[in-house]
Amino acid sequence: MLALNGVTISVLLFGIGLLGLILRRDLVVKLLALGLVNSAAILCLVSLGARRDGAPPLLMTPAAGAMVDPLPQAIVLSAIVINFAVLALALVFVMLLVERYHTTDAHRIERETAAEEDSWN
Amino acid sequence: MELILLPLIRFLFGGLSMASGRASRIFAILALVADAALLGKLAVSLSTGISPAIILGGWDRGLGIAFVGDQMGLTFAALTWGLGVAVVLYTWRDALRPYFFMLLHLLIGASYALVLTKDLFNTYVILELLTLASFLLVGYGRRPRQIWASLRYLILCSLGMSLFLFGIAIVYYHTRSLDLTEIAVRIATDPGAPWVRLAAALLVGGVAVKAGVFLFSLWLPAAHARAIPAVSALLSGVVIKMGVVVLFRLSGVFPLGLTFTVLGFATGLLGILYAVQTYDVKRLLAFSTLSQIGYLLIGFGVGSEAARLGAIDYAVAHGLFKGLLFLAVGEAARIVGTSDLRALVLNRNAIPGATRAALIVGVLGIIGMPPFAGFAAKAVLESALHPTIFHAAVGLLSVGTAVSFAKLAPLLFARSSGRTDRTRAASYGWLGGTVVLFLPLSATIVPRSLLTATLVWPAFLEAIAAILLGLGLYRLVRNRPFRLPQGVFRIEEGTLVILAGFFLIYVLLLNG
Repeated sequence: MLALNGVTISVLLFGIGLLGLILRRDLVVKLLALGLVNSAAILCLVSLGARRDGAPPLLMTPAAGAMVDPLPQAIVLSAIVINFAVLALALVFVMLLVERYHTTDAHRIERETAAEEDSWN
Repeated sequence: MELILLPLIRFLFGGLSMASGRASRIFAILALVADAALLGKLAVSLSTGISPAIILGGWDRGLGIAFVGDQMGLTFAALTWGLGVAVVLYTWRDALRPYFFMLLHLLIGASYALVLTKDLFNTYVILELLTLASFLLVGYGRRPRQIWASLRYLILCSLGMSLFLFGIAIVYYHTRSLDLTEIAVRIATDPGAPWVRLAAALLVGGVAVKAGVFLFSLWLPAAHARAIPAVSALLSGVVIKMGVVVLFRLSGVFPLGLTFTVLGFATGLLGILYAVQTYDVKRLLAFSTLSQIGYLLIGFGVGSEAARLGAIDYAVAHGLFKGLLFLAVGEAARIVGTSDLRALVLNRNAIPGATRAALIVGVLGIIGMPPFAGFAAKAVLESALHPTIFHAAVGLLSVGTAVSFAKLAPLLFARSSGRTDRTRAASYGWLGGTVVLFLPLSATIVPRSLLTATLVWPAFLEAIAAILLGLGLYRLVRNRPFRLPQGVFRIEEGTLVILAGFFLIYVLLLNG
């Protein structure tokens, strides 16, 4: 049986997110799935830097045993902020699309934009 | 010092443009002047043999973020600058919001940072910054179809960047470093380890989404074709090249020879097939971008120094003539009211003379007519391709490029009327001049000895033969329209294809 550690969970989350991106037609659900995919990558990065019984990487704590690697924890902050920006901006664009087409269905929006393009020519 | 100032000045001007919208054009010019001075300083120190390097925050190498100014970085930064000049000139009289200039500064600054950084995680952050800036620029016109194209772009690129982040996690776990030079040293001790393959497949698969490699970049045709012309030129000329720069840097760390040649040939061929069957000129240009990435990947896959330089040279040449083509086609499409080729041909006399001249120079550049830009770079690249099968593959792609651009021929012969705006004409002149005079320019990228050794009669004859063969083939296929699947450009298929592409790279790495 697979050990239930951070890395396996992150791969599972990644898979669920991918399924959401592929199978669900609703754009908002798609974006939630994308958020899951991005969080999975972050979880993977943090758990690979972890170690069992490691102390938190703070200078204040007395050095009792080995510390957890602080670098992954520092850099995932940037990744979290970036993912927040991506989701926020994407939702604004979904809002603009909903105002125009009154739907969040990706396939219907695809058809409507394609039809508009044909009528242009 | 210039390494840090290059990106930071752009971010400063980006903020200033938002704060004082009226002066945004003046800020754009000031930024270009400042960049020119900094790039000149970098070029001077490189010509004396010193490549400046700095590690941010005073950390040791491996912990801090390393910025290194090398020849490749300078070349691509100069390309970015050149296209920046063209875009500022082209949009001089357009009514654009300060927001556009803010994004322009952000995009150019991020590009400078990307070509200079040697840090894997910093690369990730800058790629995401580039994604966000270009996402907003594609949607700038606020037309629903632009919004939809840019949303698809964002979703697929963000997925690709997640793969990249997984790759970073694996690399960091095994090497305890994010510095590309150090990672290369650690991997060289055990290049066959399973984790190296997995990490390479994740990193390359993730960046390929941004770099315009066909199987991965299914968002590209819509985004490049629907954006406003100035943005399309930047996307094709600069943003795609930034993905390519990262791929080039990764090829110095991981054993990617076979992967790059296979991906290069696939993207070249598929790009051409789609380009031949489309009648929308902007989509044609976008598909041709996908096919041109093929040359670059094959050049880097072969791995010799001459092929590497040839690929960099070609990347610059492509940025110049594709930028020119997007600007000129964009104006023609605006005048006629559509980018459909049949309508453009019917109304071809309405296209002003300067625009048509720009179109002619761009097309001659892309099909590799001597002595224009495409020819010089392709000659260096082809001469370095051994064994001959690679040479034949690139020759085939050249013929295909000629086939796909042959249908623009009627646009080139017309009586033009109307005048082009002066600043627009200046923008065409700037880019067109570099396309015409690319041979002397490329002497700064490729050593002169290599250049003179490759520019011999057989190379001229080969280039002309490829063009003539392409024109002949076009006459054959012209009356046989064929349809390729268009459904692959949706988000669902795009996601599946990115996943399949990742497995493909993994398998290729097993054999490489």
